[in-house]
Amino acid sequence: MNAAASVSPWQRLWGAYVRWSTHYPVLAALVPFVPVVALWAAVARSGLFPPVFFPGPVVVIQKFGTLMANGILPAYLEDSVIRLAAGTAVGLAIGIPLGLLVGLSDRAHRALWPVLLFFQAIGDIAWLPILLIWFGFGLTTMIFVIVYTVVFPVVLNTVLGVRSVPLELHRAARSLGASKARVVWEVVLPGALPNIMTGLRNGLGFGWRALIAAEIIVGTSGIGFLMFDARRAGSVVEILLGMIVLGVLWYIVDSWVLAPIERATGERWGLVTRRD
Amino acid sequence: MRRPSRFAAAAMFMLPLLALVVIWGAVVRAFDVSPRVFPAIEPVLKAGVDAIRDGTLILHIGASLGRIALGTLIGIVFAVPLGIAMGTNRAVSTFFTPLLRFFSVLAGIAWIPIATLWFGYGFGAITFVIFNAVFFVVAYNTLLGVTGIAMSLRHAAASLGATRWQLLTEVLLPGALPNIVTGVRTGLGFAWRGLIAAEMIATNVGLGYMLFVARDFYRTEVIVLGMIIIGALWLLIDRLLLAPLERATIERWGMVRAA
Amino acid sequence: MKSLTIEHLQKIYFDPFANKQVTAIRDISLAVEAGDFVSVVGPSGCGKTTMLNMIAGFLAPSGGQIRVDGHAVHGPGPDRGVVFQSFALFPWRTVLDNVAFGPKMRGVPKARRHEIAREYLALAGLSHAAERYPNELSGGMQQRVGVVRALANEPDVLLMDEPFASVDAQTRMTLQEELTRIWEQRRPTVLFITHDVNEAVFLANRVIVLSHGAVRDDIAISLPRPRSWDALIEDAGFKALAARVLQQVRAA
Repeated sequence: MNAAASVSPWQRLWGAYVRWSTHYPVLAALVPFVPVVALWAAVARSGLFPPVFFPGPVVVIQKFGTLMANGILPAYLEDSVIRLAAGTAVGLAIGIPLGLLVGLSDRAHRALWPVLLFFQAIGDIAWLPILLIWFGFGLTTMIFVIVYTVVFPVVLNTVLGVRSVPLELHRAARSLGASKARVVWEVVLPGALPNIMTGLRNGLGFGWRALIAAEIIVGTSGIGFLMFDARRAGSVVEILLGMIVLGVLWYIVDSWVLAPIERATGERWGLVTRRD
Repeated sequence: MRRPSRFAAAAMFMLPLLALVVIWGAVVRAFDVSPRVFPAIEPVLKAGVDAIRDGTLILHIGASLGRIALGTLIGIVFAVPLGIAMGTNRAVSTFFTPLLRFFSVLAGIAWIPIATLWFGYGFGAITFVIFNAVFFVVAYNTLLGVTGIAMSLRHAAASLGATRWQLLTEVLLPGALPNIVTGVRTGLGFAWRGLIAAEMIATNVGLGYMLFVARDFYRTEVIVLGMIIIGALWLLIDRLLLAPLERATIERWGMVRAA
Repeated sequence: MKSLTIEHLQKIYFDPFANKQVTAIRDISLAVEAGDFVSVVGPSGCGKTTMLNMIAGFLAPSGGQIRVDGHAVHGPGPDRGVVFQSFALFPWRTVLDNVAFGPKMRGVPKARRHEIAREYLALAGLSHAAERYPNELSGGMQQRVGVVRALANEPDVLLMDEPFASVDAQTRMTLQEELTRIWEQRRPTVLFITHDVNEAVFLANRVIVLSHGAVRDDIAISLPRPRSWDALIEDAGFKALAARVLQQVRAA
């Protein structure tokens, strides 16, 4: 066994990587994708799969450029994002108050909890056929689906959060002169906030998936439509492009916006969140 | 607090739902709702009985359940060993976590278009979507679970004489099990939705198909029947299978999940 | 029980943040006779946990030799049992199954290994907790399980890494007394790492002071046994020894 006094070049490289990625966490998130993209390019070039089924990264990037330049991608992206945002806003507006009600009232809980679970179990997508009958192939149908999808995780997690606020906090507030309504606003809502964030995060995770499915089936515009329309034309490039755009977008939103907020509310206030 | 018997708990669960059914029947009658908008209770029941009699219901349910069972099974079988293998080496796990996270984030429905391109319409594409949803989510969660096992536990096992295989079966698997179960539950959630969506688009048998084709003929009673069956099936799977599994591992062992 | 010998142990590793090699252990040589109880103390960062991890085989030394009963050892193994500061009990196994883990690894059949486990649990007064899970027990009880789990595997040497640092002061005193009692009954070869000077003197026959990755002093403890806190806490001999060790540690 020898005691190496000198540092090998691999160690220096690893040391540099560790230092940089601590300063710039973006690096740690991006670097692992480099070998994947390289592998992708190699497999595509090797001709193992016909280019019709498996295009290389270069072609995809070119298509990205084209679709950005002629405004199609930004337009579709805008459509998808607006639908998701609108649906989420409505979902929160319904879900949080409903969650408060069910969480605070034992009677409401007994009456509504099984109903909520059952309707959540039906799932957003199964509603599409009847929604198409009611509202046709349009925006209302899509927004409804997203609202439906977002509402349940939000409600269920809000209920969890509300019920995790200790009774003593209620009592402390009341004995300091707060009315029942004030208690909800000043104590229950902040106390349940970390869980609400978890619910929002989960809801969005299911929500964007429901959006894509709805866009595929309802088919007017949006990233989902882009992918399925390309599939109909047999063009795989846009499909891959769409998937990458979706993945990158959601990765950014979830990892760098939602997760930090979820952690911040939970950690700053020393509360514990549970994933549901 | 005395826990109600399982029978009593099930009854308490059903009561609000039964109340909902009663309300349903009353509303349809009171407002004279057109059957093209929403069916009354009797047509739905009749549609159910008919579908059972001519075998189509069993066919559709069987197709859907078959696809989800197969896709989930294959997904888990590949994902868990991969997750464990990646998790045992710290450098490998640190490097691959963002990658696996990206794919688990994309998993499921987003793969429908490319799946139908690669596998054509039918069983293959749908089962792939299910497999995809389960595989990435379970692999990611397994990875999280294994890396979350305290080093001291691995050391303890080693200093008690465990071989590498024993370390795997006695420490890594049980240690990662809560995360694996969470992964299965989440992945199955995505897979179930992917199943229904894919069946609407890409096949001619299954619950999703049954719903979608009924729409063409404004047969709302079949649609509602299908929706109830889908809801009941998922409730059964989740509440009778997954939630107890989660409770048995996490709560009994008092372990904390990595978020 | 066997003897433990460490010859010129050395540990140098690469720190990516400092971007250079760091010497954690310069040169440690010490010998523990079979059946002896040796404590190792030192200020934080002196390398005592690193040393223990190398002896246990969790960390590879950069230089030097570790011998058990004269034979060199590499990597972890059942010949060197370990008791961890964080207890390291398997949360998915009952107390009984935790203690039976070592024999299970050796292939001892179920009935026999449960018998062995119960015997050792009785030694620590834990028979009533056999069917519980670790998360249902207090910290002190968990560590008792940790100790008998290591003992039940009958290692040649027992390594203890600040095992009582995570329990409250009163429980700690009780556990220390129990440890000496068990030791006097079974006479394992023990190497006990701690930062608590009083604990080191109370438990051991020899106290070794580490500093800056090397042995600074080796003090014999000739207090009579059995030892109890009631007797020793005001004992002049104990206080003198503790003071001496403390002086060495602080000067380090």
